[in-house]
Amino acid sequence: MEGGVSYARMPRVKIRDLKDDYAKFELRDTDASIANALRRVMIAEVPTIAIDLVEIETNSSVLNDEFIAHRLGLIPLTSQRAMSMRFSRDCDACDGDGQCEYCSVEFHLLVKCMTDQTLDVTSKDLISSDHTVTPVDFVDSSLAEPSDTSTNRGIIIVKLRRGQELKLRAIARKGIGKDHAKWSPAATVTFMYEPEIHINEDLMESLTLEEKKEWVESSPTHVFDIDPVTQQVSVVEPEAYTYDDEVLKKAEAMGKPGLVEINAKQDSFIFTVESTGAIKASQLVLNAIEILKTKLDAVRLSEDTVEADDQFGELGAHLRGG
Amino acid sequence: MNAPDRYERFVVPEGTKKVSYERDTKIINAASFTIEREDHTIGNILRMQLHRDPNVLFAGYKLPHPLQYKIIVRIHTTSQSSPMQAYNQSINDLDRELDHLKNAFEAEMAKFSRDY
Repeated sequence: MEGGVSYARMPRVKIRDLKDDYAKFELRDTDASIANALRRVMIAEVPTIAIDLVEIETNSSVLNDEFIAHRLGLIPLTSQRAMSMRFSRDCDACDGDGQCEYCSVEFHLLVKCMTDQTLDVTSKDLISSDHTVTPVDFVDSSLAEPSDTSTNRGIIIVKLRRGQELKLRAIARKGIGKDHAKWSPAATVTFMYEPEIHINEDLMESLTLEEKKEWVESSPTHVFDIDPVTQQVSVVEPEAYTYDDEVLKKAEAMGKPGLVEINAKQDSFIFTVESTGAIKASQLVLNAIEILKTKLDAVRLSEDTVEADDQFGELGAHLRGG
Repeated sequence: MNAPDRYERFVVPEGTKKVSYERDTKIINAASFTIEREDHTIGNILRMQLHRDPNVLFAGYKLPHPLQYKIIVRIHTTSQSSPMQAYNQSINDLDRELDHLKNAFEAEMAKFSRDY
């Protein structure tokens, strides 16, 4: 640390809601660049595992081989292992053919329809060589009773009629969303500035009840409400405000500019993170921080660059007559 | 057919330096850092962090072309500092901030799972 000075901030976090595939939290005391960097990393740079190579042995289904290969790639796989796995391109233990435990996982699929009823081939028919890497199971954990098998059948890959068969071998590899969206662990990641809404009470009281109602109604989202008893307008849900300016325009049109003042707090953000199920939403945030740290570490100046400049610096000082 | 490999967007080619440094020939204490295979994610946080340093007179970054996978960070400092010093300091500070953020998030997670 040069001279012990630091301009680092100490951001605060408050988690509002946390489920396996969903997180909502407040991020304070930092700026939009950090919030946006986190969002970008979560979407495009946190690694997951996805099927990347498919060898089809038999395919007599109605979908062509590449169509099925593409559909297989899009199936989310549980990727807790991804952070510690190697990318196939930097794996020195193998040539990326799927036999290597450090960089790949092998899947097999063998389904044949023998009945007159259409047979659904789903992600549940994929047989993994690694029990920690399997197609994501969409069981709603909020339900007390485990859902019956008819509602939980996995992701449909293709449908087969009598006599049709699908047999293949697939290799899943570690990758990032920047390479192909199938590796993105994020369904949606958004952040908004926290709004600060102040009602000018004096000006508000100059309105009739009808006018108040009209003004409250002008907001497309339910941000304001009128107290049935006191007939006072209050802010009920500031975060429902979408920065649409409708209430400001309405106040202007009613001849009451300054009726309400709305500010976006520049150092306070509300994040919503939804995961595909490949990794938990909370893990997604933590992995994103970790990846961002590694990225920063990679852009540190190398020793030889610093040395080259020191020499140049002395030379420069010499030339300047130092 | 002749499409470049997708990984070219984020893998630094062999024999290329990740970060190269070039002093400004006319202005003292000004320099450009060319960072290979990085984008707005790194560029913008570095720029904003550099703006927090009172010795930095100018800090900006550009992505010269969407198909050239590099950014250029330009820093101009007072004589109390140097572009290299400011650059290193900003990385150290960001690293510290992220460390803090990670701990804060983990602490909140523990608190959240205990409370609910």
